[in-house]
Amino acid sequence: MSIEQLYRTRAKELLSSGEVKMVIGYGAGSNKERRRPLFITSAEECDKLVLDSACISNLSGYLLTEGLLSDEKRVAVFLRPEGVRALNVLAAEAQLDTAQIVIIGFDSPKGELKALEGSSVEEFTALITALKEITPETAGEEQLAKIEKMSPEERFLFWQEEFSKCIKCYACRQACPMCYCRRCIVDSNQPQWVNTSSHTLGNFEWNIVRAFHLSGRCVECGNCDRACPVNIPLRLINRKMAEEVLNSFNHFAGTSKTQEPVLASFKKDDSETFIL
Amino acid sequence: MSEPFEPKITAFVCTYCTYAGADLAGTSRLKYAPNVRIIRLPCTGRISPMFILKALQKGADGILISGCHPGDCHFTHGNYHARRRWMVFRALLAFTGIPEERIKYSWISAAEGLKFADLINSITEDIRKLGPFDQYHKLIEETQAPASL
Ligand code: SF4
Ligand code: SF4
Repeated sequence: MSIEQLYRTRAKELLSSGEVKMVIGYGAGSNKERRRPLFITSAEECDKLVLDSACISNLSGYLLTEGLLSDEKRVAVFLRPEGVRALNVLAAEAQLDTAQIVIIGFDSPKGELKALEGSSVEEFTALITALKEITPETAGEEQLAKIEKMSPEERFLFWQEEFSKCIKCYACRQACPMCYCRRCIVDSNQPQWVNTSSHTLGNFEWNIVRAFHLSGRCVECGNCDRACPVNIPLRLINRKMAEEVLNSFNHFAGTSKTQEPVLASFKKDDSETFIL
Repeated sequence: MSEPFEPKITAFVCTYCTYAGADLAGTSRLKYAPNVRIIRLPCTGRISPMFILKALQKGADGILISGCHPGDCHFTHGNYHARRRWMVFRALLAFTGIPEERIKYSWISAAEGLKFADLINSITEDIRKLGPFDQYHKLIEETQAPASL
């Protein structure tokens, strides 16, 4: 039986036994390459579920939809390892209770679909810990190395050019499971921290702020990068910041649901070579 | 002849240590460069990275952020939290091309009036050598130009 078939059956069982009230998965999209999120509440609909290597978006953000989990019923969700990490981060930040989530895990390393064992975040701990040791291939290591070799002026020019394209649509924010704030800092105007116009300065500020707020929380699922309509390589900033928190604080976002948020904790012997 | 470049430096300091240090520099009649604008905050933990961006947005050429030495924080650990944040924010700024030399961090206690005066002098000299932060100033100018239609 294909994994898709297997998981359709699984979803059916979960729904008909009443174990979950909803399954969040993938369905056919607007064309062959695309998949779109599917929210299923009855066993009959489960045949609409699609699962293949094109199912790339991280669905964990939908769990925070207002009111979805407040009746304490459970919800099943299709997740890749990044999605499970995202769940851990959200739980560590008290946004959801992982006991209410049934994971239907899968991955597709090198385009080959495989099922992942386990339905609770704890069962994925070993897998996630192993991920900490490897640098993801998709992140554009080469491009990153190139940027790091540049002089500050060149780097500024590089990002100036990229950020000048930004239209402040905030799609990156909407697509990100970690961007759950009811009131984002860019929406606040007392005081107005970030210029609202999409001129390069405002865009620079916006992208810096977002990257900072995602530092140590981003699980590099790539939702923001794919959502960006003008193709700003957000993955490069995400990768850089993930590297930074790993090297400086040995922090890998989403290893457990009780992990301390890196920027809300400290060690007395944190490095401070740069402080005069 | 154009006027010589005078760097604009914004200092965000905590009230219990560095501000008191600056005060000591004043009452001790120590002379230091007048290029610095001091902004006093309750604690280094209150110094949000947004302040740095705001100062740049308003045309600062250099920024100093300073507070109590580790272990001396009036609120016991505001400066430890701040230190982590700076570490991460600093890396981010460097990655986007905002030169590290323009943004300095220090611990200055209430007793270190001399350290404060010396630091302000040396930072002012450093920034003077670097020159105005033209790359950023150009972005600011662009925001003031009428929109092209
Ligand atoms: S910042 Fe982007 S890559 Fe990181 S968790 Fe959010 S959507 Fe995913
Ligand atoms: S998705 Fe891209 S264009 Fe839209 S706000 Fe984010 S960075 Fe800017």
